[in-house]
Amino acid sequence: MRYLRPGPLGSTLLKVLFLGLLDAGAVYFSVLLAWEGSWAALVLVVAGAAGVTYLALSQRAYPLRYLAPGLFFLVLMVVIPVAYNVYISFTNYSTGHILTKDQVIKVLTDKEYQPSPPIRYHFYGFGTEEALYGVLILIDSEPLFLRPDGELEPLTEHEVVDVDGDGVADKVDGYPRLGTRELLAHYQVLQGLRVPWKGGWLRLASLTQFGYFLPRYRYDPERDAIVDQRTGKVYFAGPDRFVAEDGEGLDPGWPRWVGLANYLRFIRDPLYHGAFGRVFLWNVEWAVLTVVLSFALGLALAVLLNDRKLKLRKLYRSLLIVPYALPAFISVLIWKGFFNTEVGLFNQLLGSHFGIRVPWLTDVFWARFSLILTNVWLTYPYMMLVSLGALQSIPGELYEAAAIDGASPWRRFTRITFPLLMISIAPLLIGSFAFTFNNFTIIWLMTQGNPVVKIGGRAGGTDILLSYAYKLAFQGARGNEYAMAAALGVIIFLIVALISGISFLRTRALEEVSRGL
Amino acid sequence: MASKGGLGRWGKRLLRHVLAWLAIAFALFPAAFVLGTSFNPVNSLSTTRILPQQPSLANYWRLFSDYAFPVWLLNTVKIAGISAVFSVFFCALGAYAFSRFRFRGRRTGLLTLLLVQMFPQALAMVAIYLILLKIGRYLPWAGLGTHPGLILVYLGGSIGFNTWFMKGYFDTIPRSLEESAMVDGATHFQAFWRIILPLARPILAVVFVIQFISFYSEYLIASFVLKGERSYTLSLGLYYMINEHYRDRWGVFAAGAVIGAGLILVIFYALQSQIVSGLTGGAVKE
Repeated sequence: MRYLRPGPLGSTLLKVLFLGLLDAGAVYFSVLLAWEGSWAALVLVVAGAAGVTYLALSQRAYPLRYLAPGLFFLVLMVVIPVAYNVYISFTNYSTGHILTKDQVIKVLTDKEYQPSPPIRYHFYGFGTEEALYGVLILIDSEPLFLRPDGELEPLTEHEVVDVDGDGVADKVDGYPRLGTRELLAHYQVLQGLRVPWKGGWLRLASLTQFGYFLPRYRYDPERDAIVDQRTGKVYFAGPDRFVAEDGEGLDPGWPRWVGLANYLRFIRDPLYHGAFGRVFLWNVEWAVLTVVLSFALGLALAVLLNDRKLKLRKLYRSLLIVPYALPAFISVLIWKGFFNTEVGLFNQLLGSHFGIRVPWLTDVFWARFSLILTNVWLTYPYMMLVSLGALQSIPGELYEAAAIDGASPWRRFTRITFPLLMISIAPLLIGSFAFTFNNFTIIWLMTQGNPVVKIGGRAGGTDILLSYAYKLAFQGARGNEYAMAAALGVIIFLIVALISGISFLRTRALEEVSRGL
Repeated sequence: MASKGGLGRWGKRLLRHVLAWLAIAFALFPAAFVLGTSFNPVNSLSTTRILPQQPSLANYWRLFSDYAFPVWLLNTVKIAGISAVFSVFFCALGAYAFSRFRFRGRRTGLLTLLLVQMFPQALAMVAIYLILLKIGRYLPWAGLGTHPGLILVYLGGSIGFNTWFMKGYFDTIPRSLEESAMVDGATHFQAFWRIILPLARPILAVVFVIQFISFYSEYLIASFVLKGERSYTLSLGLYYMINEHYRDRWGVFAAGAVIGAGLILVIFYALQSQIVSGLTGGAVKE
């Protein structure tokens, strides 16, 4: 199919001009980036420019022009993250194993130690209050002059004037010596200075002194090892960090491939094993109870409203879906207020009328109860709406026939309404189950997964898998366990895929979809 | 049943109304209570009255003077609005291509979209966090802790479903309109821009509003992307404002909840029938 025909001259010229500018810009940036050695960015720029040029010129890629913008964001923020997440789950990426090996070497060789006894030199600053010209470091053997750009020179290369003859320089190259207060204005500049000197470096050690420091570690590329300069101890490169022969390791390390280890830890490691099972069970309970209870309530209300002769039914319907119209996070925070043990509405009422106080959010059972109550309140309008739609599609003749046969209302409901309803609603219930299964917002805003069930344990009594993963990744008492969180993410992926697969098989939606393409 | 006569039927009618009002009371009491509290100058939860004795706007004044609430609201509307506008536009473009062009990989593309949108983006939160960290190294204005960064994530996460959803609608628009326009010399893009988009305005509005509402309420991703009180969205801001302060900030929070929920409530009821059909048709609202 031909999509393009030659356009008017003006638009063709405009296109050529645009592409010319774009590609010229790309070449310019490529040179800059190559100069800097930012290869990843270079590849992105070149690929981007080439892609846009191809899209704009190719006949065959015409449909892609429409797909490209959406595709770009989909790939960037869904496809790549999913793939990357799976990759991370097979590594030990976590606090202490985040940098690359080169970065680790850089971090380690940047570390310093102080020779014993410490070596300190007094200094004077020269310049004006606005700009620091340099500092004179009083080293007995050879006084040095340090410029703010890090250049270190023997003082003899500068013109020094000692006006009052007290042995202290008053002017260097015409710049006056600074008082303490004026010097303080340049404190940040001074702090940023670290200049190599005699195998170590000089840096600010106190408000009045520069210190001489030695590099703590040296990297030996031949042995691929780090040598502790102070003790002489050698740390050889292991799979994910430098380790000495006695087993002592250096932090930080770098990530490495660990295969299925993270997944196995959820099965075997006592630190995660118990928590995982407990969280998983509650996660299923949470989703099942929410869906079943809210569906029961929603269906009951739908049956109630499904009477065309009922006055005000439009109004009732509009009012009953208010919980659905409110942003869930606000509703949850409001309910949380009601559940507050000391000052919440529920305990106020229960306390003044019956003299009891319920530990709504501080006891595992009641916290779960509160969460499900809140979520049923949030979800039943959806169930009511879909049930109403489905009820209206059930042909009335069926009921007439049943009425003639003398079937009771209950019998009519269980034999006609419910089975017919389930055909269209079952897939929606499964969808709702999958959604509730990962409904992080409600759990997190209400309880943050608490109350604590095991001292020192990461997962609380109301944590679902997703909030547990969130805790592992971002709320770590043991640092950020990114890899464990990623593995948990993959496990949830698989569960969702299983649920969706069952749903698809049941409804054969995929088949229909394939036919409709 | 009918044989029981008028009184029985009348009684059943009444029972239906009573049950309906009971359910409505359950549905509305949290909102009603909070609305009342927001006008109650006593800034504590320890009141069980719905109607305040001396109503005042004190809580609203304090919300705007003592808290960064206006900033949160503005951030939220900005982030949700921009994300939703771009999402609608990009998805309409993609949906048009899927609906009107026949090209290699089209079937696969559509099935992939369908599969991709089944998985909540939040499951890849670790990867998203690290990718934003990397983006920030090259483009500091679009990395972790920035609004454009969050918009990138929202935008990406909404493409799959919306493209699919809109494609279905575009399929129902007859091709004859575009074909006659193209006989008259219009390009494909002109046909899309001048014919399809105006015809699809209802669906664009629905997708925009549903997306806006869901971005507006999003918490998880915003919570690890945004740093610092002044960059918060409403969900983060209100959460951190009230979470440890139910005792002393309940009234102010109520005022914030009324404004924050009021905005969405107005949009929802203005477009009630379209939104409801969109949502119950499979779109997910958080």
